[in-house]
This record gives sequence, structure tokens and C-alpha cells, in this order.
Amino acid sequence: MTAHDSDTIAAIHRELHSHLPSEPALRARALESLLVDKGMVDPAAVDAWVERYAEDIGPRNGARVIARAWVDADFRRRLLEDAAKAIKELGYEHDHLIAVQNTPQVHNLVCCTLCSCYPNALLGMPPSWYKMAAYRARAVRDPRGVLAEFGVELDADVDIRVWDSTAELRFIVIPERPAGTEDWDEQRLAELVPRNAMIGTARDLSPRAAGDP
Amino acid sequence: MDGIHDLGGRQGFGPVAVDEPEEQFHEPWEARVRGMVNAMSRAADWNIDWFRHCRELIEPVDYLSRPYFDQWIQSYAAMMVNSGLASVEELASGKAAAPAAGLRPPMSAEQARRTSLGARRFDAPANTAPRFAPGDGVRTLAHGIATHTRLPGYARGRHGRIERHHGAHVLPDANALGEKRHEHLYTVAFDAAALWPEAHGRRDQVLLNLWERYLAPA
Repeated sequence: MTAHDSDTIAAIHRELHSHLPSEPALRARALESLLVDKGMVDPAAVDAWVERYAEDIGPRNGARVIARAWVDADFRRRLLEDAAKAIKELGYEHDHLIAVQNTPQVHNLVCCTLCSCYPNALLGMPPSWYKMAAYRARAVRDPRGVLAEFGVELDADVDIRVWDSTAELRFIVIPERPAGTEDWDEQRLAELVPRNAMIGTARDLSPRAAGDP
Repeated sequence: MDGIHDLGGRQGFGPVAVDEPEEQFHEPWEARVRGMVNAMSRAADWNIDWFRHCRELIEPVDYLSRPYFDQWIQSYAAMMVNSGLASVEELASGKAAAPAAGLRPPMSAEQARRTSLGARRFDAPANTAPRFAPGDGVRTLAHGIATHTRLPGYARGRHGRIERHHGAHVLPDANALGEKRHEHLYTVAFDAAALWPEAHGRRDQVLLNLWERYLAPA
């Protein structure tokens, strides 16, 4: 039975601080070896997860959802109404998900000021900057300044909506489909969608902006 | 709790480290920790909010300076000690003095290949009527909550507007104390100008998902 007591945990943290190995990689190795020794982890299962993150869990899945929303207006409507349900049509699962769309007048930006909440099951792990103090502190207060650091310069008449992920409901941004891609197929469009566009730290996805000649 | 984790709006932080490769893990040990956490057997009374609270309780200087997945190591180590699953000495040495008793066997590789990360429901049928509807003005609690909560400091005592009602969801404040309760959850929109002194005249908004107990009619 776990005692859910804050002071006890804080005291344990202090004790661990002076006892655990000095480097993160060594701490990770000690933890894995202990969990295996205790019968709490099967290392083959850890291998299997590492492989899945390398191969099938990651931002490419979100990019496919965005590309579908760009080519299929009915799917886009379903995605905006109930994203968790809509992405099942593409074989993805994320039980609590909200899709928000950029328009010429609105830019959406996602953050988590309290920890690191992110639509992991669809987009994989969030980038390090998303989990670090500067972004968490500033995204809600100085979104234009943060966006400028990512190279996104918004006109003064574009409104920003910053989504602070305080619950298990996670957010994905539907960026605008760039001009000049009218005859592109879904697969080619998906390749235009970087992870940052689904967080809101990228906006103009036109092939030229991405560096193509 | 008024912890170091509650970073929204804190000033003095420099630029965001935007030049980061898109790969999901930058060091092999990070991927191992992610995999371990997905695959490990756990005490029946652990949950996501208890984990978050344990992370919030990391010493402030460590919270701000240690790599993210290192904070996971620290949090799970503390949770194991607290629940009697390991001693500090075992965690330091990586060697078990005794097996962990009373846990379900860990996930197999086959299960790891089949488990869906997205199949986790936090909602439940509500047994009370929602107190607010979209369009309603609300004011958030002015004081904080001394234990785990999801009302960030910057959004306390502020006026906002209900944008959407999501039905009843697991209440993190109670869940972190080992108590499962569901309460109505709403998306609440705040004008930036209602949050920050320098935002006067800006039309930007900040939106948060907030539980009913954080809100009063306004």
C-alpha cells in the first residue's frame, strides 16, 4: 500500500540525490539492472519498446493525419469534432485528443507549463525544448517572442491561441495547407508536415519555405 | 502545490533551444528509460498523477537542471522506495537484496509489441449535472492547492470563459492522493490581458482544461 505523502517523497528524493550513481546513463543502467533483478522488467520488452519508438511511434503518424485532413474536407470536419474517433479511421489510437486548426487569422501553439503533456501516442516523444523550463515558462506569456525564435513571424493581426495541456486531453495543430500543393497526393503532402507544425512552432509549410529550390 | 514545476509565466529564462534534431531520443539511455517505464510492473496504487506529483517534488535545483528522462529515473526510484519495492541501497547498486513481492509479472516482449499507448480512458459517465456551459464567464480559485493540482499559478483568481465541456474526467488532485474521482472538465479561454500585466491590448488567448472545482461563476 502506497502512502501518497508529499513530505515523504521529498525526503526520499534528497536521500537518493546523494546515493545514486553520478551520471544519468549510469543511473539508467542501475535502474534497469535492479528492475530486471527484481523481476519487475523483462529486458526483451524494453528492447521491443525501443524498436517501436524507432519504427512505428512518432511524428510521421501525425503528419499522415494532417495530410488526410488537407485532402478530405469531411475527414477534417470529423477530426475537429472528435479527433480521437477520427484518427481511428487511419488506424491510430489516442483516446483523448483535440485538433485545432490554423487559419490566416489564427495561429495555435501547444505547451504544457506544469510538466510535459503531449499527444505521445500519436506523435511520439516531445522534443527536449518542449519539456524544458524556457519554453514552459514563456509560451503562455510571450508566444510571439517564442515563435520568432523558431523563425515564425506572425503579422500583428493574427491572433494566437496558446493551449496549455493541463489534462489528459492532448492537442494537435492542423497547419494550413501551403499554396502550390493542389495537385500533390496525400503521401507527398505528409512529408511536408514537420513535428513542430503540429505543436505550432512552425507555420509556413510551403515547399519553398522548407528549403526546396 | 506551489512547486518549482509550475513554470508558466516565470520570467528570466533565456531563449528556447530550438536547434534540436527531430529524433525522439538523443541518448540510448533515454530510450531505455522510456521503454522500462512502459514495460515495468508497478504497484496497483500508482497512477499518472502520483507520478507527476513525485516529479514535482524533485529538489528544485535538480528539477531545473537534470535531463528530462533522468527526472523519470529519480521519480520512479522514489516511488519504488516509498512503496517498499526497493531500498535506496538497491537502487544505488542496481542489485536486488530481495525480490519485489505482490506485483503482477512484467510485460513480455510480445505484449510490448501489441500494447496501444493511446488506449487509456480517463473519462467516465458523470453523476452530477455540469455547473457551467459554453459561453459562461468563470473565475478561477484565487488560492492554490497545497498538494497536486492542475490549476497553474498564473491562472489563479482570473476571469475566463467556458469554451467547451468535456464531461467528467479523473480528477488529478484526488488521483495523486490515491483516490479515484471524476469531475466535470472544461476548456476555459483566458484573454492574455487578463493574465499578464504587459499584455494590455493584445487579443491573444491562453486556453486550459480545468476541472469544475477550480471554477466559480463570474
